[in-house]
Amino acid sequence: MPKPKTTFIFLSPWIIILLLFWLFPLIYSFILSFAKYSILTGEVEWIGLANYFKLLQDPDFWIALKNTSFFVLGTIPFTTILALVLAILVNQKIPLRGFFRAGYFVPSITSLVVIALVFTHLYARDGYFNFLFKLLNLSSPEKGFLFSEKTALLSIMLMDIWVSVGYYMLLFLAALQAVPLELYEISDTFGANSWQKFRFVTLPHLRPMFLFVVLINTIKSFQIFIEVFVMTKGGPLNSTLTMVYLVYEQGLHKFNFGYASAIAYCLFFIIMVFSLLQMKAFGLGRGIED
Amino acid sequence: MRIRDKIFRWVLFLILLFILSGMLFPMYWMVKTSLTKETGYVLNFSDLLPKGLTIKNYQDVWSSAPFLRFFLNSLIVAIFVTLGNLIFCLMVGYAFARREFVLKKVLFLSVILVLMIPAHIIIVPLFILIKKLGWYDTYLTLIVPWVVNPLGIFLMRQYIQNLPRELEDAARIDGAGDFKILFKIVMPLCKPALAVLAIQVFLVNWNSFLFPFILTSSEKMRTLPVALALYQGYQTIDWPHLMAASTICALPVIILFLFFQRQIISGLTAGALKQ
Repeated sequence: MPKPKTTFIFLSPWIIILLLFWLFPLIYSFILSFAKYSILTGEVEWIGLANYFKLLQDPDFWIALKNTSFFVLGTIPFTTILALVLAILVNQKIPLRGFFRAGYFVPSITSLVVIALVFTHLYARDGYFNFLFKLLNLSSPEKGFLFSEKTALLSIMLMDIWVSVGYYMLLFLAALQAVPLELYEISDTFGANSWQKFRFVTLPHLRPMFLFVVLINTIKSFQIFIEVFVMTKGGPLNSTLTMVYLVYEQGLHKFNFGYASAIAYCLFFIIMVFSLLQMKAFGLGRGIED
Repeated sequence: MRIRDKIFRWVLFLILLFILSGMLFPMYWMVKTSLTKETGYVLNFSDLLPKGLTIKNYQDVWSSAPFLRFFLNSLIVAIFVTLGNLIFCLMVGYAFARREFVLKKVLFLSVILVLMIPAHIIIVPLFILIKKLGWYDTYLTLIVPWVVNPLGIFLMRQYIQNLPRELEDAARIDGAGDFKILFKIVMPLCKPALAVLAIQVFLVNWNSFLFPFILTSSEKMRTLPVALALYQGYQTIDWPHLMAASTICALPVIILFLFFQRQIISGLTAGALKQ
């Protein structure tokens, strides 16, 4: 018989990592958000909800919240729809489709730091995008796309869509291939056209994956940080300041651990509310029965 | 009808080719800039094409002392974290798949929840904890907290659940102990899943930026992505050298992808499909 002792030994790596590096920080962060932590003496002073009140009056917080929400709402619809369209296209019988699938996926596995650096170059004053804009007689920012408060955030958003579309395409593709072929054959016997087949067979089957894609993309996008850190440092004039960048700046730059934790928890709360709303909107668990 | 189909297919092919060129253009740009002496800026059409190619930037980057250190740091961290995950995700996944114990449901729920928790929430407390442990700016902080990951546990549990139990039972009758059964019987059967896990963990950790960045401070502890991100902080940017270093950072991943495309894709989509 298997020994209970070895069960515990097998589980111990997860128990240790979970308690020490996930649960403890999670709780500690929550406690810190009600305190003022002095980096010099290590003293913790209870200040109740003061961090949260401070946050409501902090213009940076509202700017970060606005920018982050704009980023999330502005990228997710495009990423999702594009990924779905690409998935449908590479699911057709065309030459070299495996090659296309792989090619679209390459940005998703490349280091985000590397990608952000390459795009910094592409967006520069004499970079590729400015050349393109001049060629098309469009007005473009003089100092480069990342140095204008009008275009900096939009430039990062465009890059983000480009980076993530391949990954979500693969998820949709997997869901498309899981649709039972018999259903298409049955609709053929009823004389359904391609659109009807897509609308009444494919789409209902994609619904759980649709929810999953939007959900993980929401959680991920609310936490945008690397792109901002590498490309703009939150500038120009706070136009790309995001929530996690603010957490980083307050927590690890200015060492306001309590205040940074309050911002982090606030974002956590927002992400949770968004996720729950999405689950409700899509009707969790309803997708499969259709 | 057949001709219309054919035309449709070729139009589609051209559209896909056009999109592909857009998806790969930044990669082309990176490599092109890394192979020239110029800044890579575009003033007229001829600047879009590579000219005056040289590998000198790569030689410069390789021979500069810190770069080799960054590269080795990335390699050491990714390898140790991968080895850790191979052993520990196997152990934990096996326990979840084959054993009964108290609070099993709760503990498994913790795996799923950690998968969903936004990492930003632990930045500050983890920073404080690592400082208190005395691990700040050491290899320990780059490796130990990451040696087991929820997605890996999930993957291994799922795979082991679908394995037949007979071999394990037979080994037990022959008097094999629990560890021997896990590492001599189950582990060899798990090779395909372990391959997916290893590649997946290696990729994620090779590219990892946030935690290596906030939990180290000295130049000698930087991994490649951290070094690249911080290099850019200086006043004027030496694009050709920076792009050569970036290419070196991106290349191992792309090579891995060419060889293990199937494993990488199944690793990245595994979590999604099983929910």
